[in-house]
Amino acid sequence: MGARRFAVGEYLGFAPALILYGAFFAVPLSIVVAYSFWKVRDYNVVHEWTIDNYRYFFSVPTYVRTMWATVWVAVLSTALTIAVAFPFAYWLVRHVPRRLQRTLLVLVILPFWTSYLLRVYSWLNILGPSGAINRFLQWTHVTSSPVSFFLYDRPAVVLVLVYLYFPFAALTLYASLERFDWDQFKAAMDLGARPATAMRKILLPQIRPGITTAVIFVFIPILGEYLAPQLVGGTRGIMIGNLIVNFFSGAEYTRGAAASLLIAALIVVLLVVFRRSLEIKDPYASGR
Amino acid sequence: MPRDAEVVSPRAGLMRGLLGGWAVLVYVFLFAPVVLLVAFSFNANRYGTFPFTGWTTKWYGQVFGDYQIRDALTTTLKVSAEVTLISTVVGTAAAFPLVRSRLPFRSGIRIGMTLPIMIPGLLIGISLLVLFTSVFHWQLSPQTAVIGQSVYTTPFVMLLVAARLQGFDPALERAASDLGANTFRRLRHVVLPLIMPAVFAGALFAFTLSLDEFIITLFLIGAQNTLPIYIYTQVKFGITPEVNALASLLLGASILLIGIAFVLPTAIRRARRLRHGAAGARS
Repeated sequence: MGARRFAVGEYLGFAPALILYGAFFAVPLSIVVAYSFWKVRDYNVVHEWTIDNYRYFFSVPTYVRTMWATVWVAVLSTALTIAVAFPFAYWLVRHVPRRLQRTLLVLVILPFWTSYLLRVYSWLNILGPSGAINRFLQWTHVTSSPVSFFLYDRPAVVLVLVYLYFPFAALTLYASLERFDWDQFKAAMDLGARPATAMRKILLPQIRPGITTAVIFVFIPILGEYLAPQLVGGTRGIMIGNLIVNFFSGAEYTRGAAASLLIAALIVVLLVVFRRSLEIKDPYASGR
Repeated sequence: MPRDAEVVSPRAGLMRGLLGGWAVLVYVFLFAPVVLLVAFSFNANRYGTFPFTGWTTKWYGQVFGDYQIRDALTTTLKVSAEVTLISTVVGTAAAFPLVRSRLPFRSGIRIGMTLPIMIPGLLIGISLLVLFTSVFHWQLSPQTAVIGQSVYTTPFVMLLVAARLQGFDPALERAASDLGANTFRRLRHVVLPLIMPAVFAGALFAFTLSLDEFIITLFLIGAQNTLPIYIYTQVKFGITPEVNALASLLLGASILLIGIAFVLPTAIRRARRLRHGAAGARS
Protein backbone atom coordinates (compact mmCIF):
# COMPACT_ATOMS: atom_id res chain seq x y z
CA MET A 1 0.00 0.00 0.00
CA GLY A 2 1.31 3.39 -1.02
CA ALA A 3 -0.38 5.03 1.93
CA ARG A 4 1.92 3.18 4.35
CA ARG A 5 4.67 5.62 3.49
CA PHE A 6 2.74 8.33 5.27
CA ALA A 7 2.37 6.39 8.50
CA VAL A 8 3.75 9.28 10.57
CA GLY A 9 2.34 12.02 8.40
CA GLU A 10 -1.07 10.47 8.77
CA TYR A 11 -1.12 11.33 12.46
CA LEU A 12 0.68 14.67 12.19
CA GLY A 13 -2.63 16.54 12.06
CA PHE A 14 -3.37 15.49 15.61
CA ALA A 15 -0.23 17.20 16.94
CA PRO A 16 -1.67 20.69 17.55
CA ALA A 17 -4.85 19.24 19.06
CA LEU A 18 -2.78 16.96 21.25
CA ILE A 19 -0.84 19.93 22.59
CA LEU A 20 -3.99 22.01 23.16
CA TYR A 21 -5.94 19.21 24.84
CA GLY A 22 -2.99 17.75 26.69
CA ALA A 23 -1.79 20.98 28.23
CA PHE A 24 -5.10 22.80 28.65
CA PHE A 25 -7.70 20.08 29.13
CA ALA A 26 -6.26 16.80 30.41
CA VAL A 27 -3.58 18.34 32.64
CA PRO A 28 -5.80 20.95 34.36
CA LEU A 29 -8.57 18.42 34.95
CA SER A 30 -6.01 16.04 36.49
CA ILE A 31 -4.76 18.87 38.67
CA VAL A 32 -8.30 19.47 39.92
CA VAL A 33 -8.57 15.76 40.76
CA ALA A 34 -5.27 15.95 42.67
CA TYR A 35 -6.28 19.17 44.46
CA SER A 36 -9.43 17.56 45.74
CA PHE A 37 -7.23 15.06 47.63
CA TRP A 38 -4.64 17.55 48.89
CA LYS A 39 -4.35 19.49 52.11
CA VAL A 40 -4.21 23.20 52.73
CA ARG A 41 -1.74 24.46 55.33
CA ASP A 42 -1.31 28.16 56.06
CA TYR A 43 -3.25 29.07 52.92
CA ASN A 44 -0.94 26.95 50.77
CA VAL A 45 -1.84 23.75 49.03
CA VAL A 46 0.55 21.02 50.18
CA HIS A 47 0.91 17.69 48.44
CA GLU A 48 -0.32 15.51 51.24
CA TRP A 49 -3.09 13.09 50.47
CA THR A 50 -6.33 13.34 52.40
CA ILE A 51 -10.07 12.90 51.97
CA ASP A 52 -10.83 15.79 54.31
CA ASN A 53 -12.15 17.96 51.48
CA TYR A 54 -14.87 15.44 50.75
CA ARG A 55 -15.52 14.84 54.42
CA TYR A 56 -15.96 18.57 54.89
CA PHE A 57 -18.45 18.79 52.01
CA PHE A 58 -20.60 16.01 53.46
CA SER A 59 -20.38 17.43 56.97
CA VAL A 60 -22.23 20.60 56.00
CA PRO A 61 -25.96 19.86 55.70
CA THR A 62 -26.57 22.80 53.33
CA TYR A 63 -24.01 21.44 50.86
CA VAL A 64 -25.46 17.94 50.92
CA ARG A 65 -28.95 19.34 50.48
CA THR A 66 -27.74 21.46 47.58
CA MET A 67 -26.17 18.40 45.96
CA TRP A 68 -29.40 16.41 46.12
CA ALA A 69 -31.36 19.45 44.97
CA THR A 70 -29.02 19.68 41.97
CA VAL A 71 -29.63 16.04 41.08
CA TRP A 72 -33.37 16.54 41.53
CA VAL A 73 -33.44 19.71 39.41
CA ALA A 74 -31.38 17.96 36.71
CA VAL A 75 -33.69 14.91 36.64
CA LEU A 76 -36.84 17.02 36.58
CA SER A 77 -35.56 19.44 33.95
CA THR A 78 -34.33 16.60 31.75
CA ALA A 79 -37.64 14.76 32.00
CA LEU A 80 -39.60 17.92 31.22
CA THR A 81 -37.31 18.82 28.32
CA ILE A 82 -37.82 15.38 26.75
CA ALA A 83 -41.56 15.54 27.45
CA VAL A 84 -41.80 18.89 25.66
CA ALA A 85 -39.46 17.90 22.83
CA PHE A 86 -40.85 14.47 22.00
CA PRO A 87 -44.35 15.50 20.77
CA PHE A 88 -42.70 18.38 18.96
CA ALA A 89 -40.19 16.15 17.15
CA TYR A 90 -42.96 13.65 16.37
CA TRP A 91 -45.08 16.42 14.89
CA LEU A 92 -42.15 17.66 12.82
CA VAL A 93 -41.41 14.23 11.37
CA ARG A 94 -44.98 13.05 10.82
CA HIS A 95 -47.07 16.10 10.01
CA VAL A 96 -44.75 18.59 8.31
CA PRO A 97 -43.81 18.41 4.63
CA ARG A 98 -40.15 17.41 4.20
CA ARG A 99 -39.26 20.70 2.56
CA LEU A 100 -40.33 22.67 5.62
CA GLN A 101 -38.83 20.33 8.21
CA ARG A 102 -35.30 21.65 7.85
CA THR A 103 -36.33 25.28 8.13
CA LEU A 104 -38.49 24.65 11.21
CA LEU A 105 -35.65 22.68 12.78
CA VAL A 106 -33.14 25.46 12.13
CA LEU A 107 -35.52 27.87 13.88
CA VAL A 108 -35.38 25.64 16.95
CA ILE A 109 -31.59 25.26 16.89
CA LEU A 110 -30.93 28.94 16.22
CA PRO A 111 -31.35 30.03 19.86
CA PHE A 112 -28.75 27.43 20.88
CA TRP A 113 -26.13 29.31 18.88
CA THR A 114 -27.00 32.66 20.38
CA SER A 115 -25.66 33.84 23.69
CA TYR A 116 -26.27 31.53 26.61
CA LEU A 117 -26.10 34.49 28.96
CA LEU A 118 -28.72 36.41 26.99
CA ARG A 119 -31.08 33.47 26.86
CA VAL A 120 -31.06 33.34 30.65
CA TYR A 121 -31.19 37.10 30.92
CA SER A 122 -34.18 37.38 28.60
CA TRP A 123 -36.29 35.49 31.15
CA LEU A 124 -35.80 38.26 33.70
CA ASN A 125 -38.06 40.38 31.50
CA ILE A 126 -40.81 37.80 31.93
CA LEU A 127 -40.31 36.39 35.41
CA GLY A 128 -39.00 39.50 37.18
CA PRO A 129 -40.88 41.59 39.76
CA SER A 130 -41.93 43.96 37.00
CA GLY A 131 -41.85 41.27 34.32
CA ALA A 132 -44.56 40.14 31.96
CA ILE A 133 -46.19 37.63 34.32
CA ASN A 134 -46.47 40.00 37.25
CA ARG A 135 -47.69 42.84 35.06
CA PHE A 136 -50.32 40.54 33.62
CA LEU A 137 -51.46 39.41 37.08
CA GLN A 138 -51.71 42.99 38.28
CA TRP A 139 -53.48 44.11 35.13
CA THR A 140 -56.09 41.37 35.55
CA HIS A 141 -56.27 42.19 39.27
CA VAL A 142 -55.34 38.69 40.35
CA THR A 143 -52.79 40.26 42.66
CA SER A 144 -52.23 43.84 43.66
CA SER A 145 -48.51 43.68 44.42
CA PRO A 146 -45.71 41.87 42.53
CA VAL A 147 -45.37 38.17 43.32
CA SER A 148 -41.82 36.88 43.52
CA PHE A 149 -42.74 33.22 43.24
CA PHE A 150 -41.84 33.34 39.56
CA LEU A 151 -38.34 34.43 40.34
CA TYR A 152 -35.65 33.50 42.85
CA ASP A 153 -36.81 29.94 43.41
CA ARG A 154 -36.42 26.47 41.95
CA PRO A 155 -39.46 26.46 39.61
CA ALA A 156 -37.97 29.42 37.76
CA VAL A 157 -34.65 27.58 37.45
CA VAL A 158 -36.31 24.47 36.04
CA LEU A 159 -38.30 26.55 33.55
CA VAL A 160 -35.19 28.33 32.29
CA LEU A 161 -33.22 25.07 32.10
CA VAL A 162 -35.93 23.47 29.97
CA TYR A 163 -35.75 26.53 27.75
CA LEU A 164 -31.94 26.39 27.51
CA TYR A 165 -31.62 22.71 26.67
CA PHE A 166 -34.71 22.16 24.54
CA PRO A 167 -32.76 22.55 21.26
CA PHE A 168 -30.42 19.63 22.17
CA ALA A 169 -33.33 17.33 22.91
CA ALA A 170 -35.39 18.41 19.90
CA LEU A 171 -32.46 17.88 17.55
CA THR A 172 -31.48 14.39 18.76
CA LEU A 173 -35.09 13.18 19.00
CA TYR A 174 -35.82 14.54 15.53
CA ALA A 175 -32.78 12.72 14.14
CA SER A 176 -33.84 9.36 15.54
CA LEU A 177 -37.54 9.71 14.70
CA GLU A 178 -36.63 10.77 11.20
CA ARG A 179 -34.60 7.61 10.62
CA PHE A 180 -37.36 5.37 11.95
CA ASP A 181 -39.13 3.24 9.37
CA TRP A 182 -42.79 4.22 9.89
CA ASP A 183 -44.03 1.34 7.75
CA GLN A 184 -43.17 -0.95 10.66
CA PHE A 185 -45.48 1.08 12.84
CA LYS A 186 -48.25 0.84 10.28
CA ALA A 187 -47.62 -2.88 9.89
CA ALA A 188 -48.02 -3.39 13.64
CA MET A 189 -51.33 -1.54 13.56
CA ASP A 190 -52.50 -3.54 10.55
CA LEU A 191 -51.77 -6.67 12.56
CA GLY A 192 -54.12 -5.38 15.24
CA ALA A 193 -51.85 -3.51 17.65
CA ARG A 194 -53.34 -0.42 19.21
CA PRO A 195 -51.33 2.80 18.68
CA ALA A 196 -50.09 2.80 22.28
CA THR A 197 -48.90 -0.80 21.98
CA ALA A 198 -47.25 -0.18 18.64
CA MET A 199 -45.49 2.82 20.12
CA ARG A 200 -44.23 0.89 23.13
CA LYS A 201 -43.22 -2.29 21.30
CA ILE A 202 -41.98 -1.00 17.94
CA LEU A 203 -41.12 2.68 18.14
CA LEU A 204 -39.59 3.09 21.61
CA PRO A 205 -37.05 0.24 21.43
CA GLN A 206 -35.73 1.57 18.16
CA ILE A 207 -35.41 5.21 19.13
CA ARG A 208 -34.02 4.43 22.57
CA PRO A 209 -30.43 5.34 21.61
CA GLY A 210 -31.75 8.73 20.49
CA ILE A 211 -33.59 9.28 23.75
CA THR A 212 -30.49 8.23 25.71
CA THR A 213 -28.34 10.69 23.78
CA ALA A 214 -30.85 13.44 24.45
CA VAL A 215 -30.92 12.61 28.17
CA ILE A 216 -27.13 12.65 28.39
CA PHE A 217 -26.73 15.89 26.46
CA VAL A 218 -29.31 17.65 28.62
CA PHE A 219 -28.50 16.14 32.01
CA ILE A 220 -24.72 16.57 32.03
CA PRO A 221 -24.53 20.32 31.40
CA ILE A 222 -27.35 20.94 33.89
CA LEU A 223 -25.29 19.31 36.66
CA GLY A 224 -22.69 22.05 36.23
CA GLU A 225 -25.17 24.85 35.75
CA TYR A 226 -24.10 28.13 37.34
CA LEU A 227 -25.74 31.05 35.60
CA ALA A 228 -29.43 30.07 35.55
CA PRO A 229 -29.59 29.47 39.31
CA GLN A 230 -27.51 32.59 39.85
CA LEU A 231 -29.75 34.92 37.84
CA VAL A 232 -33.24 33.50 38.35
CA GLY A 233 -32.80 31.07 41.25
CA GLY A 234 -31.74 33.42 44.02
CA THR A 235 -30.63 31.93 47.33
CA ARG A 236 -33.37 29.29 47.30
CA GLY A 237 -32.42 28.02 43.86
CA ILE A 238 -28.68 27.45 44.19
CA MET A 239 -27.01 24.37 42.74
CA ILE A 240 -23.60 22.69 43.09
CA GLY A 241 -22.17 24.96 40.39
CA ASN A 242 -22.80 27.99 42.60
CA LEU A 243 -21.13 26.28 45.56
CA ILE A 244 -18.08 25.55 43.42
CA VAL A 245 -17.81 29.16 42.29
CA ASN A 246 -18.15 30.32 45.90
CA PHE A 247 -15.35 27.99 46.99
CA PHE A 248 -13.06 29.18 44.24
CA SER A 249 -13.78 32.87 44.69
CA GLY A 250 -13.08 32.37 48.39
CA ALA A 251 -9.74 30.78 47.38
CA GLU A 252 -10.78 27.45 48.91
CA TYR A 253 -9.34 25.62 45.95
CA THR A 254 -9.14 22.14 47.43
CA ARG A 255 -12.76 22.20 48.65
CA GLY A 256 -13.94 23.60 45.34
CA ALA A 257 -12.02 20.85 43.57
CA ALA A 258 -13.76 18.22 45.70
CA ALA A 259 -17.18 19.67 44.86
CA SER A 260 -16.22 19.68 41.15
CA LEU A 261 -15.23 16.04 41.42
CA LEU A 262 -18.68 15.28 42.83
CA ILE A 263 -20.20 16.62 39.59
CA ALA A 264 -17.78 14.48 37.61
CA ALA A 265 -18.76 11.48 39.74
CA LEU A 266 -22.45 12.11 39.05
CA ILE A 267 -21.69 12.26 35.33
CA VAL A 268 -19.89 8.92 35.54
CA VAL A 269 -22.83 7.39 37.42
CA LEU A 270 -25.17 8.61 34.70
CA LEU A 271 -23.01 7.17 31.93
CA VAL A 272 -22.80 3.82 33.73
CA VAL A 273 -26.57 3.72 34.21
CA PHE A 274 -27.18 4.41 30.55
CA ARG A 275 -24.28 2.34 29.25
CA ARG A 276 -26.49 -0.61 28.40
CA SER A 277 -28.99 1.31 26.33
CA LEU A 278 -26.15 3.08 24.56
CA GLU A 279 -24.60 -0.22 23.54
CA ILE A 280 -27.77 -1.86 22.26
CA LYS A 281 -27.66 -2.05 18.51
CA ASP A 282 -30.81 -1.29 16.61
CA PRO A 283 -32.30 -4.80 16.38
CA TYR A 284 -34.51 -4.09 13.38
CA ALA A 285 -32.04 -2.18 11.24
CA SER A 286 -29.38 -4.86 10.88
CA GLY A 287 -30.49 -5.66 7.34
CA ARG A 288 -30.10 -2.07 6.17
CA MET B 1 -51.46 2.22 -2.16
CA PRO B 2 -51.03 1.77 1.58
CA ARG B 3 -54.11 2.42 3.63
CA ASP B 4 -53.53 5.69 5.45
CA ALA B 5 -55.39 5.34 8.73
CA GLU B 6 -54.56 8.85 9.83
CA VAL B 7 -56.57 10.68 7.26
CA VAL B 8 -59.65 8.55 7.84
CA SER B 9 -60.02 8.39 11.60
CA PRO B 10 -61.41 11.47 13.37
CA ARG B 11 -59.36 10.67 16.46
CA ALA B 12 -56.20 10.89 14.38
CA GLY B 13 -57.36 14.28 13.18
CA LEU B 14 -57.77 15.46 16.75
CA MET B 15 -54.31 14.09 17.57
CA ARG B 16 -52.88 15.99 14.64
CA GLY B 17 -54.49 19.21 15.83
CA LEU B 18 -53.19 18.73 19.35
CA LEU B 19 -49.67 18.11 18.10
CA GLY B 20 -49.81 21.16 15.87
CA GLY B 21 -51.02 23.28 18.78
CA TRP B 22 -48.20 21.93 20.92
CA ALA B 23 -45.67 22.88 18.25
CA VAL B 24 -47.06 26.43 18.14
CA LEU B 25 -46.69 26.68 21.92
CA VAL B 26 -43.11 25.43 21.64
CA TYR B 27 -42.22 28.17 19.18
CA VAL B 28 -43.90 30.79 21.36
CA PHE B 29 -41.94 29.47 24.35
CA LEU B 30 -38.69 29.63 22.37
CA PHE B 31 -39.13 33.08 20.90
CA ALA B 32 -41.24 35.06 23.39
CA PRO B 33 -38.33 35.93 25.71
CA VAL B 34 -36.16 37.04 22.80
CA VAL B 35 -38.94 39.04 21.15
CA LEU B 36 -39.75 40.77 24.44
CA LEU B 37 -36.07 41.57 24.98
CA VAL B 38 -35.86 43.28 21.59
CA ALA B 39 -39.20 45.04 22.12
CA PHE B 40 -38.04 46.48 25.45
CA SER B 41 -34.87 47.78 23.86
CA PHE B 42 -37.09 50.14 21.81
CA ASN B 43 -39.33 51.01 24.75
CA ALA B 44 -39.06 54.55 26.11
CA ASN B 45 -39.71 53.34 29.68
CA ARG B 46 -36.41 53.94 31.43
CA TYR B 47 -36.81 50.92 33.72
CA GLY B 48 -36.46 48.63 30.74
CA THR B 49 -39.70 46.79 31.37
CA PHE B 50 -43.50 47.05 31.20
CA PRO B 51 -45.44 49.15 30.42
CA PHE B 52 -44.66 50.33 26.91
CA THR B 53 -44.53 54.09 27.07
CA GLY B 54 -43.41 54.87 23.56
CA TRP B 55 -40.95 54.10 20.82
CA THR B 56 -37.34 55.23 21.00
CA THR B 57 -33.88 54.42 19.70
CA LYS B 58 -32.30 56.46 22.48
CA TRP B 59 -30.90 53.39 24.28
CA TYR B 60 -29.02 52.32 21.19
CA GLY B 61 -27.45 55.75 21.02
CA GLN B 62 -26.30 55.36 24.62
CA VAL B 63 -24.86 51.92 23.85
CA PHE B 64 -22.73 53.35 21.06
CA GLY B 65 -21.66 56.30 23.20
CA ASP B 66 -20.60 54.24 26.23
CA TYR B 67 -16.80 53.91 26.41
CA GLN B 68 -17.00 50.86 28.71
CA ILE B 69 -19.04 49.05 26.09
CA ARG B 70 -16.63 50.14 23.38
CA ASP B 71 -13.71 48.77 25.41
CA ALA B 72 -15.55 45.51 25.99
CA LEU B 73 -16.34 45.27 22.28
CA THR B 74 -12.67 45.75 21.36
CA THR B 75 -11.61 43.04 23.81
CA THR B 76 -14.36 40.71 22.59
CA LEU B 77 -13.39 41.10 18.94
CA LYS B 78 -9.68 40.56 19.68
CA VAL B 79 -10.38 37.46 21.75
CA SER B 80 -12.84 36.05 19.21
CA ALA B 81 -10.45 36.63 16.30
CA GLU B 82 -7.67 34.74 18.07
CA VAL B 83 -9.98 31.94 19.18
CA THR B 84 -11.28 31.60 15.62
CA LEU B 85 -7.76 31.39 14.20
CA ILE B 86 -6.58 28.81 16.75
CA SER B 87 -9.64 26.59 16.61
CA THR B 88 -9.88 26.68 12.81
CA VAL B 89 -6.25 25.64 12.33
CA VAL B 90 -6.18 23.05 15.14
CA GLY B 91 -9.65 21.68 14.37
CA THR B 92 -9.08 21.37 10.63
CA ALA B 93 -5.70 19.68 11.11
CA ALA B 94 -7.18 17.19 13.56
CA ALA B 95 -10.09 16.36 11.23
CA PHE B 96 -7.74 14.70 8.71
CA PRO B 97 -6.31 11.90 10.87
CA LEU B 98 -9.70 11.53 12.53
CA VAL B 99 -11.29 10.58 9.22
CA ARG B 100 -8.40 9.07 7.29
CA SER B 101 -5.88 7.35 9.48
CA ARG B 102 -6.35 3.74 10.54
CA LEU B 103 -6.20 4.53 14.20
CA PRO B 104 -7.34 1.56 16.25
CA PHE B 105 -9.01 3.85 18.80
CA ARG B 106 -10.44 6.38 16.38
CA SER B 107 -13.96 6.33 17.80
CA GLY B 108 -12.47 6.76 21.26
CA ILE B 109 -10.68 9.89 20.09
CA ARG B 110 -13.88 11.12 18.49
CA ILE B 111 -15.72 10.77 21.79
CA GLY B 112 -12.76 12.30 23.63
CA MET B 113 -12.81 15.32 21.36
CA THR B 114 -16.50 15.90 22.05
CA LEU B 115 -15.86 15.91 25.81
CA PRO B 116 -15.03 19.63 25.92
CA ILE B 117 -18.47 20.29 24.39
CA MET B 118 -20.27 17.92 26.69
CA ILE B 119 -18.83 18.54 30.14
CA PRO B 120 -19.99 21.68 31.95
CA GLY B 121 -18.02 24.79 30.94
CA LEU B 122 -17.71 25.53 34.62
CA LEU B 123 -15.30 22.61 35.02
CA ILE B 124 -13.16 23.77 32.08
CA GLY B 125 -13.10 27.28 33.51
CA ILE B 126 -12.10 26.42 37.06
CA SER B 127 -9.57 23.76 36.07
CA LEU B 128 -7.78 26.26 33.81
CA LEU B 129 -8.03 28.88 36.53
CA VAL B 130 -6.18 26.54 38.89
CA LEU B 131 -3.59 25.73 36.21
CA PHE B 132 -2.91 29.35 35.25
CA THR B 133 -2.92 30.93 38.69
CA SER B 134 -1.51 28.37 41.08
CA VAL B 135 0.68 26.21 38.81
CA PHE B 136 1.96 28.59 36.12
CA HIS B 137 1.49 31.77 38.21
CA TRP B 138 0.28 33.64 35.14
CA GLN B 139 -1.61 36.90 35.30
CA LEU B 140 -5.17 36.41 34.02
CA SER B 141 -5.69 38.33 30.79
CA PRO B 142 -7.63 38.13 27.51
CA GLN B 143 -4.91 35.68 26.40
CA THR B 144 -5.79 33.17 29.09
CA ALA B 145 -9.45 33.52 28.10
CA VAL B 146 -8.44 32.81 24.49
CA ILE B 147 -6.90 29.49 25.54
CA GLY B 148 -9.98 28.51 27.55
CA GLN B 149 -12.41 29.37 24.77
CA SER B 150 -10.31 27.55 22.17
CA VAL B 151 -10.57 24.34 24.19
CA TYR B 152 -14.34 24.66 23.91
CA THR B 153 -14.69 25.81 20.27
CA THR B 154 -12.09 23.61 18.51
CA PRO B 155 -14.17 20.38 18.58
CA PHE B 156 -17.00 22.14 16.70
CA VAL B 157 -14.65 22.99 13.82
CA MET B 158 -13.16 19.52 13.87
CA LEU B 159 -16.53 17.76 13.71
CA LEU B 160 -17.75 20.00 10.88
CA VAL B 161 -14.64 19.55 8.75
CA ALA B 162 -14.53 15.81 9.53
CA ALA B 163 -18.11 15.45 8.30
CA ARG B 164 -17.11 17.13 5.03
CA LEU B 165 -13.98 14.99 4.64
CA GLN B 166 -16.05 11.87 5.18
CA GLY B 167 -18.23 12.65 2.20
CA PHE B 168 -15.20 13.30 0.02
CA ASP B 169 -14.36 10.96 -2.87
CA PRO B 170 -10.82 9.61 -2.32
CA ALA B 171 -10.60 8.85 -6.07
CA LEU B 172 -10.21 12.59 -6.71
CA GLU B 173 -7.02 12.68 -4.72
CA ARG B 174 -5.75 9.46 -6.25
CA ALA B 175 -6.37 10.91 -9.69
CA ALA B 176 -4.35 14.01 -8.79
CA SER B 177 -1.60 11.77 -7.49
CA ASP B 178 -1.60 9.74 -10.72
CA LEU B 179 -1.27 12.97 -12.65
CA GLY B 180 1.93 13.69 -10.72
CA ALA B 181 0.77 16.06 -7.99
CA ASN B 182 2.77 15.85 -4.76
CA THR B 183 1.24 15.98 -1.29
CA PHE B 184 1.39 19.76 -1.07
CA ARG B 185 -0.19 20.33 -4.49
CA ARG B 186 -2.89 17.75 -3.84
CA LEU B 187 -3.71 19.58 -0.64
CA ARG B 188 -3.58 22.99 -2.26
CA HIS B 189 -5.54 22.24 -5.45
CA VAL B 190 -7.82 19.33 -4.60
CA VAL B 191 -8.47 18.88 -0.90
CA LEU B 192 -8.58 22.45 0.37
CA PRO B 193 -11.00 23.80 -2.26
CA LEU B 194 -13.35 20.91 -1.50
CA ILE B 195 -13.33 21.30 2.27
CA MET B 196 -13.14 25.11 2.25
CA PRO B 197 -16.90 25.63 2.72
CA ALA B 198 -16.82 23.48 5.87
CA VAL B 199 -13.71 25.28 7.14
CA PHE B 200 -15.38 28.66 6.65
CA ALA B 201 -18.56 27.48 8.33
CA GLY B 202 -16.50 26.07 11.20
CA ALA B 203 -14.65 29.36 11.58
CA LEU B 204 -17.95 31.26 11.70
CA PHE B 205 -19.35 28.89 14.32
CA ALA B 206 -16.18 29.24 16.38
CA PHE B 207 -16.32 33.03 16.11
CA THR B 208 -19.96 33.16 17.20
CA LEU B 209 -19.46 30.74 20.09
CA SER B 210 -16.48 32.78 21.25
CA LEU B 211 -18.39 36.05 20.93
CA ASP B 212 -21.11 34.72 23.23
CA GLU B 213 -19.02 32.53 25.53
CA PHE B 214 -19.68 33.35 29.15
CA ILE B 215 -18.76 30.84 31.83
CA ILE B 216 -15.17 29.96 30.82
CA THR B 217 -14.45 33.62 30.13
CA LEU B 218 -15.82 34.67 33.51
CA PHE B 219 -13.06 32.70 35.25
CA LEU B 220 -10.18 33.51 32.92
CA ILE B 221 -10.56 37.06 31.62
CA GLY B 222 -9.12 38.78 34.70
CA ALA B 223 -9.78 42.50 35.06
CA GLN B 224 -11.01 43.11 31.51
CA ASN B 225 -14.52 42.65 30.13
CA THR B 226 -15.92 40.95 27.08
CA LEU B 227 -19.45 41.95 26.11
CA PRO B 228 -21.16 39.00 27.83
CA ILE B 229 -19.14 39.64 31.00
CA TYR B 230 -20.02 43.33 30.84
CA ILE B 231 -23.72 42.49 30.48
CA TYR B 232 -23.44 40.10 33.43
CA THR B 233 -21.93 42.75 35.68
CA GLN B 234 -24.74 45.13 34.70
CA VAL B 235 -27.53 42.59 35.16
CA LYS B 236 -26.48 42.12 38.78
CA PHE B 237 -27.78 45.63 39.41
CA GLY B 238 -31.05 45.01 37.59
CA ILE B 239 -32.38 45.35 34.06
CA THR B 240 -31.71 48.58 32.23
CA PRO B 241 -32.88 49.54 28.74
CA GLU B 242 -29.26 50.05 27.66
CA VAL B 243 -28.48 46.43 28.51
CA ASN B 244 -31.59 45.37 26.57
CA ALA B 245 -30.31 47.33 23.57
CA LEU B 246 -26.80 45.88 23.84
CA ALA B 247 -28.25 42.39 24.26
CA SER B 248 -30.42 42.86 21.15
CA LEU B 249 -27.37 43.92 19.13
CA LEU B 250 -25.38 40.90 20.31
CA LEU B 251 -28.31 38.58 19.55
CA GLY B 252 -28.70 40.10 16.11
CA ALA B 253 -25.00 39.67 15.36
CA SER B 254 -25.04 36.01 16.47
CA ILE B 255 -28.12 35.16 14.45
CA LEU B 256 -26.68 36.86 11.38
CA LEU B 257 -23.34 35.03 11.67
CA ILE B 258 -24.96 31.66 12.30
CA GLY B 259 -27.40 32.20 9.46
CA ILE B 260 -24.44 32.79 7.15
CA ALA B 261 -22.65 29.70 8.53
CA PHE B 262 -25.70 27.54 7.83
CA VAL B 263 -26.23 28.87 4.32
CA LEU B 264 -22.60 29.36 3.27
CA PRO B 265 -21.56 25.79 2.29
CA THR B 266 -24.59 25.34 0.03
CA ALA B 267 -24.16 28.82 -1.43
CA ILE B 268 -20.50 28.21 -2.28
CA ARG B 269 -21.28 24.89 -3.89
CA ARG B 270 -24.10 26.41 -5.91
CA ALA B 271 -21.94 29.33 -7.04
CA ARG B 272 -19.19 26.94 -8.12
CA ARG B 273 -21.60 24.75 -10.02
CA LEU B 274 -23.02 27.80 -11.79
CA ARG B 275 -19.56 29.00 -12.74
CA HIS B 276 -18.48 25.58 -13.94
CA GLY B 277 -21.76 25.16 -15.77
CA ALA B 278 -21.19 28.45 -17.57
CA ALA B 279 -17.61 27.50 -18.39
CA GLY B 280 -18.80 24.13 -19.70
CA ALA B 281 -21.42 25.77 -21.91
CA ARG B 282 -18.86 28.10 -23.42
CA SER B 283 -16.34 25.45 -24.35
